[in-house]
Amino acid sequence: MISSRTTDLASPRGNAPERRRRFRLGGRTGLAFWVAPALLLVGVFAIYPVAYSIYISFFKYKLTDPTKSQTFVGFGNYLSALADPSFVVAVRNSLAFVVGAVGVELLFGLALAVLLNRELPGMALVRSILIAPLTLTPLVVALVWGALYNADFGPVSYYLKQLGFQLGRGPVGEPSLALASLVVIDVWQWTPLMALLLFTGLRSQPPELHDAAQIDGASHWQRFLHVSLPLLKPTILVALVIRTMDALKLFDSVFAITGGGPGRATEVVNYYIFKVGLTYFDIGYAAAMSNLLLIIIVVLSALYLRVLRTPGGAS
Amino acid sequence: MTVTTRRRWFGNALSYLLLFLTVAFFLLPLIWLIGTAFKPRLLSFSVPPTWFFQPVIDNFFTIFRQMPVLQYLRNSVVVAVGSTILAVVLGVPAGYGLARHPGRTSNALAFALLVIRMVPPVAMLIPFYLLMRDFHLLGTYWSLILIDAVLNVSFVAWFMRGYYAGVPRDMEEAACCDGCTRFGAFARVSLPLALPGVVTIALFSFIASWNDFLFAMLLTGRNTRTLPLGILESYRAYEVSWNLMAAVSLFAVVPVILLGFALQRYYVSGLTMGAVRE
Repeated sequence: MISSRTTDLASPRGNAPERRRRFRLGGRTGLAFWVAPALLLVGVFAIYPVAYSIYISFFKYKLTDPTKSQTFVGFGNYLSALADPSFVVAVRNSLAFVVGAVGVELLFGLALAVLLNRELPGMALVRSILIAPLTLTPLVVALVWGALYNADFGPVSYYLKQLGFQLGRGPVGEPSLALASLVVIDVWQWTPLMALLLFTGLRSQPPELHDAAQIDGASHWQRFLHVSLPLLKPTILVALVIRTMDALKLFDSVFAITGGGPGRATEVVNYYIFKVGLTYFDIGYAAAMSNLLLIIIVVLSALYLRVLRTPGGAS
Repeated sequence: MTVTTRRRWFGNALSYLLLFLTVAFFLLPLIWLIGTAFKPRLLSFSVPPTWFFQPVIDNFFTIFRQMPVLQYLRNSVVVAVGSTILAVVLGVPAGYGLARHPGRTSNALAFALLVIRMVPPVAMLIPFYLLMRDFHLLGTYWSLILIDAVLNVSFVAWFMRGYYAGVPRDMEEAACCDGCTRFGAFARVSLPLALPGVVTIALFSFIASWNDFLFAMLLTGRNTRTLPLGILESYRAYEVSWNLMAAVSLFAVVPVILLGFALQRYYVSGLTMGAVRE
């Protein structure tokens, strides 16, 4: 079809507007040509797993069961998930983690972005340094912080004790501190992302608006609050969506440092599903819970996007 | 000194102080990691922590004796490069098509790609694991390359769709008038024009795949284990050894840090692209 179009174009009938139309011609078939290979890959290896996960969530299916029987239970798995105290605790831990981590990252990142935006000498170097945490293997970050937090030999524990804090079993050993300690790790790795995003957002703002506000006698703080911040809103929201989606999938640091403990203090939903699905092999139940998690993620993202689309919010 | 200059001087000094504290916060764990890789085992557990010491390289000899580090490194490279190539080769044309054929279908597909990125990894992992088992691909490079590629291809297509929305079509149309086929116009004009975007998105795919641990843990076998698994092994092998863990970690961490620094312009622009073009 492509070669015939070329000969068509060479024909005298092809005046300029028609040529243009023909270039865009194709509509759906044209789209299919470009996306088919990618869709094939995604369809087989992503849609299939997702569809299977929806299907099997309506069955009682344990891989450890020698007969491998699948018993239809309808919404049974979903109902037991909602009644399962472990699942409820895991969801609560995840939400607490997301609010804590993403909230701190936003405030810290915003402050850092404002600092970076001052364009003092040496800022370029600081920006380069900030890229490093983003590229690091999360498992390595988790193991490093796990060592830093170690109650007996960890530098963080040591210096906190020197400062007079009573830590008992260390930052990740105390139920009241464990989740917050994992938040610190997330803040360490992902605040630079927030800061760099917001910094680029700030830098792309037209200076005229700031100048105008300054002439009107607005203070630094007022200009930030009434000019920079509203203009930054779309960037902030997208950054929040990205970070929220990822923070809900927290796994590596829980796996490597706490194993969900002490007690259930750090058992986040992704980790609990992993445990049920891949160590107890209760596949149907794990699938139901991961579908519930997906619903939570989609609802949260939709909420953010809704706010983003409000008048004055879209870019 | 006038009041304004004094205030400005004070402001700058405060900025530098805050920046210094921030940089210290972000660098100290990294410095601890690099330092620990060159410490004898006992020193790595010293209380108070030692920051200045005579570095030794024994840890590296030990880990090379204990585990096939180079094989882990090779496996990581094979998987990350393989999945990146697959994701870029399939994802860039898809993103191009989505941008050049706007409409309801295009929007729906783009949204579907976004949802795939939202699916919790464990939800995909279990069925994917069973699928790979049935295809007898467990423990081969393919299982890991495929799942990384699937997750990355949706991201690549999503990103390139936004990128191409910002690239004018005039040049493609000109090429088309000059007798290029549609695909020819893409390959000779649109692709080179979008090269910075392609570099950016390849970098992101590579890093995502390189750093993956959860999928690698379940899908690799004895011969295809990637570096993160080697790191965990070094940490837990006989006794907890921070120094050995740190030494193996450097093999995973140094390449991506260097890549990030070398391509930082692309990296930062990629972050922004993802954010600005919602």
